Amino acid sequence: MEKQLEDLKAIREMMEKSSKFLSLSGLSGVMAGITAILGAAYAYFFILGEHIAVANILLILDAIIVLFISISFGIYFSWKKARKSNQKLFNKVTLRILYNLSIPLFVGGILSGIFISRGEMEIVASITLIFYGLALVNASKYTIDEIHYLGITEIILGLAAAIFLYNGIIFWTIGFGVCHIIYGLIMYKKYDLK
Amino acid sequence: MANIIANLNKAFESRIRLGIMSVLMVNESADFGTIKDLLELTDGNLASHLKALEGSDYIECSKQFIGRKPNTKYTITALGRQSFQEHLNALENLIR
Repeated sequence: MEKQLEDLKAIREMMEKSSKFLSLSGLSGVMAGITAILGAAYAYFFILGEHIAVANILLILDAIIVLFISISFGIYFSWKKARKSNQKLFNKVTLRILYNLSIPLFVGGILSGIFISRGEMEIVASITLIFYGLALVNASKYTIDEIHYLGITEIILGLAAAIFLYNGIIFWTIGFGVCHIIYGLIMYKKYDLK
Repeated sequence: MANIIANLNKAFESRIRLGIMSVLMVNESADFGTIKDLLELTDGNLASHLKALEGSDYIECSKQFIGRKPNTKYTITALGRQSFQEHLNALENLIR
């Protein structure tokens, strides 16, 4: 009886471990959220007053810096968590996730670039939210379930940002800032504190 | 009771073989190194269990070269999938 229970547990664990990326740390989400809010606040208070041509360049720079810092923290916390549970950070599953993330992200990035080059900056918040959400939903089958729901939330916010076109920065701050922090804390409580 | 136990497959009795089958059930294929890392085994130990499962036609392997390095890839067979599923059902029935 005991052995059968243990067997089933081992089977379940091995199936999860071999097909899902479980080293994703909730702290990555929290840090990404804080970075996004700081980036958005900087854009709101310091960039938006600038002349439009200067502002566009500064906004793109701002976004790239936020992205870079978030990804760095994401990799750092995941690496720490992977080491703690004696797993490799880069394996087949990680590559599968990166591949599934990258397709919507690249498309969204290129589309944003096209609109920015036409001077239609106000739609960019909506596009980045929607394609980021699609990327998360797409990759979520290879990691913890929360990512799926985070993706859906981002897509809804992205659509709302398209309806309320000139309040893009608010939706962007909620989507990339607040949502990351909330989901990050949920994930941290559920998975990391064990 | 005896009937239920009879459904347990002897080939899957060891924890290592359970692990191998579990990995191959949810992944299209897995190479030797990946399985080794996942199960935290030595080469020799893993190889003997893989050979046994291959002998029962539950898994099959294909050898190929990635660059110059030989790479052995394992996939589950239809028979293996069915047998493992039956084994799982038997385990579940036992603990019920």
